[in-house]
Amino acid sequence: MNRFLVFCYGLLMSVNVQASFWPEELQTHGFLTQNFFHTSDNNVYGQSDDGISPGLTEIGLNLSYQPFSRLTLSAQGLYRRAGKVDGGNVRLDYGVADLNIFNYQNGRIGIRGGRIKIPFGLYSETRDVAFTNPSIILPQGIYFDRSRSLLVSADGGSLYAEHRTEYGDLSFKFNLGMPLGDNEEIRSAILGPAALGKFEASPAFATQLSYELNGGETVFAVSYMNLKLKYHPSAGDFISAGNTSIRPLLFSAQYNGEKLGLTAEYLYRWNSYKDYGVMPDFQFVSESWYLQGSYRFLPQVQGIVRYDTFSSDINDRGGQRSVSNGLPNHIAYAKDWMLGVRWDITSSLMVRTEYHRVHGTAWLAQADNQDQSKTKQDWDLYALQLSYRF
Amino acid sequence: MKGTFSLNILFSYLRNVVLQNLLFEFKKIISLKFVVVGFLLCVFFVPVGNATEIVVNQSVPVQAVSLNKIRAIFTMHQRFWPSGEQIKVFTLVDKHPLHKAFAKNKLHMFPHQLRRVWDRMVFSGTGQAPVTLESEQEMLDKVANTPYAIGYLSREPDNEKIRILVNE
Repeated sequence: MNRFLVFCYGLLMSVNVQASFWPEELQTHGFLTQNFFHTSDNNVYGQSDDGISPGLTEIGLNLSYQPFSRLTLSAQGLYRRAGKVDGGNVRLDYGVADLNIFNYQNGRIGIRGGRIKIPFGLYSETRDVAFTNPSIILPQGIYFDRSRSLLVSADGGSLYAEHRTEYGDLSFKFNLGMPLGDNEEIRSAILGPAALGKFEASPAFATQLSYELNGGETVFAVSYMNLKLKYHPSAGDFISAGNTSIRPLLFSAQYNGEKLGLTAEYLYRWNSYKDYGVMPDFQFVSESWYLQGSYRFLPQVQGIVRYDTFSSDINDRGGQRSVSNGLPNHIAYAKDWMLGVRWDITSSLMVRTEYHRVHGTAWLAQADNQDQSKTKQDWDLYALQLSYRF
Repeated sequence: MKGTFSLNILFSYLRNVVLQNLLFEFKKIISLKFVVVGFLLCVFFVPVGNATEIVVNQSVPVQAVSLNKIRAIFTMHQRFWPSGEQIKVFTLVDKHPLHKAFAKNKLHMFPHQLRRVWDRMVFSGTGQAPVTLESEQEMLDKVANTPYAIGYLSREPDNEKIRILVNE
């Protein structure tokens, strides 16, 4: 961690010193975010119950270089520390070669290769960049933090196309790649706390079609992914080598006005579990949606309110199956009312705070809440965020 | 005697001070009136918003652009001029009054909407942001000295290396 900070600092200094020699084709940007959490019950990002947890830190630094007019190389390093889920490590968030194949007056077509951000909904591609997010905690029914590694980036290729018309701009992305799938939280989310083995992801595709009016004042998007995970039991595991397929379909709509912002997203997700031995093969559908409104009272001050709901199985909204597995029923759902204020002190410094009233525990991380039977159904969450960018 | 004399001087001095102050206050009121009237005249009779001009380097092979094109250029979606040369986009910092006026009058957008578009590209590895400058003078210098550059100014440039790009 310290070495990474020293590295960042050194790089920043060298950017400052060499500003006049820095070619315009080379751009660098970054961010540093520290979050604090307090909860009435249950833990988020560390020990937040009966205390304040500073357990979520995000530091990013990216470089973008254009050696030729049609080729752009860009990479972002991300340090992230998230409670007991992620003890803190630096990794390559994306590393992309972007080749602009075909340009015409109303659009362009190109390909990208490398480690590519997954286009899913309105926020996935920049989900760790506080300045681009509407709130400290993104709507968790769609932008799960616990099993985020499936949604962050994938190693592979992407085809993109953009077409502009008098009546709005169309943009299409098709990504094929290997998501970063192995993660204990994914295992816990799929098989519960007792599983011991590892999940391995297969190449998956993610695609998105979006339609924007007036330079992004109004946005509509449809995103779809097809994720496949294979389970490798460890020695002594009572679960056999099964397969899980997860196929989320997400509809997004957004209005970004001068002062008023309105956002809605609806997720419909097909899940299929096969060959796990201990449990019969079964298929179920998860559902989530949220409505979000924001208002810019002053150019630098924004208020936000949101209602977000998630059901892990639309045929078992009350969580009866969880009870029969010896887990609390409220692990099957979460309804979250959120209220927040954001203050952009300068264009590169931002502070915000928010309050959540949550009913249900579906998106709590297993690592932060070891004994799920002790989690509480109704709880409050307070969060504070400080973020710097350049 | 001496005392009366000095008291007289003191009184006349104080009288002068008071009179001068009153006069000053009166002048202030008069000039304030002019300011208020002038301001109202400006608000009601001076068309607001014509104070932004899209400018390009003389090398740019385009004379006029539509709203859609100019938006595509400043949101970094259109990266090349029709002749194939890469467009060099310059912009001022978000809080600069000229940037706000430009976004509103020429793009029919707000600075936070542009910021959203650029940030999404910059932090997802899908594009680059325009080069951001601090002052209008810097903008003038950059557009004048960078081939295929585009930017904006608050007045007609008196520099032969720069010309105005008109709305189609």
